Amino acid sequence: MRPASRREVLREAAARLALAGGALGSAALAGGAFAGSALAADPSDADQLARLLALEHELAAAYEAALGRDAIEPALGKLLLAHEREHIRGLEQALGKRSPAKAGAPGVGIDFASRRAFARSALELERRTVDTYRDVLTTFHNDRLLQPLGSIMACGAQHEVALRRALGEDLL
Amino acid sequence: MPPVQATLTRRGALGGAAALALASCDGGDPPPTGAPRAGSGAGLLSSIVALEHAAIAAWAAIGEALRGDARHYARVIRGREIDNGERVAELVRKLGGTPPKTRPAADYARLFPRIGDEADALHFARDLEERLVRAYLEGLRLLPDAEQRRVTAEIAAEQAQDLAVVHALAGGPAAPQPFVTGTR
Repeated sequence: MRPASRREVLREAAARLALAGGALGSAALAGGAFAGSALAADPSDADQLARLLALEHELAAAYEAALGRDAIEPALGKLLLAHEREHIRGLEQALGKRSPAKAGAPGVGIDFASRRAFARSALELERRTVDTYRDVLTTFHNDRLLQPLGSIMACGAQHEVALRRALGEDLL
Repeated sequence: MPPVQATLTRRGALGGAAALALASCDGGDPPPTGAPRAGSGAGLLSSIVALEHAAIAAWAAIGEALRGDARHYARVIRGREIDNGERVAELVRKLGGTPPKTRPAADYARLFPRIGDEADALHFARDLEERLVRAYLEGLRLLPDAEQRRVTAEIAAEQAQDLAVVHALAGGPAAPQPFVTGTR
């Protein structure tokens, strides 16, 4: 069997991410993501996906640890953790064998001292993650993945609102 | 914040129809009158500006049906739509185009569903915000320029937050789905 070209690898990655979840697949397919896109053979796309994946692992680890320490209201914590796991699944499938090992110790820089303290630090991490998605979307080459990545970014932005609500702050 | 429980019956259908009507708002406007080059993104950006004009009018109507915190957020979100519309209009101008002007309020009002109570208003708001999220996510894929994509990504995130506020005002979770696509 001949080795896959970089173009084929990227096309396969796009298909995997697009099909990773029902909504994610819908986003890609509804946008015609598989029709005539200009796939750029740029290795930086994989690096960018790995960067996003590391942040999603960090968020998942934070919510998981917070649930274990009762540092977040359980229903909210379970919902946000489930979302992060879906994001991880999509990004890992897009990266395929190039997916890096799972992120290290959870909760680095996260304050678990109280529900309020956790919400504050999780909000900061969500904000940083949304900013990173925005930067990646600006420079990403594979246009088939732009909408699916945008849909994850949009979810992260909604997590910010959910956490501000938990803090009893202005939602916007 | 007192939740306004929404019922997914006739009101949902009204909201869906309204979203379709609003979707047509951006399709009926003339192309930019300047001379941006083909494939510059000016046409798509102008469509988004036209949709934002409709959204600004819609949020005024929605706000009139809401009270308390919900009314406050309707005002805030309407202000954000004004800013968003101006940011996108500026992108059109940078391409040498002329962004579409807003229409008289009555022109938009004809397209809106009847808003009888707060639940109607929030259904309409949800459909409107989903339409906006979808427009900006589509823009991410179709716009050719990095600055256009940056602005589009920033506004897509803001629209998703506005949608989250609508979810919260309706008494549900602010972030109900792992992928926010602007479709249900």
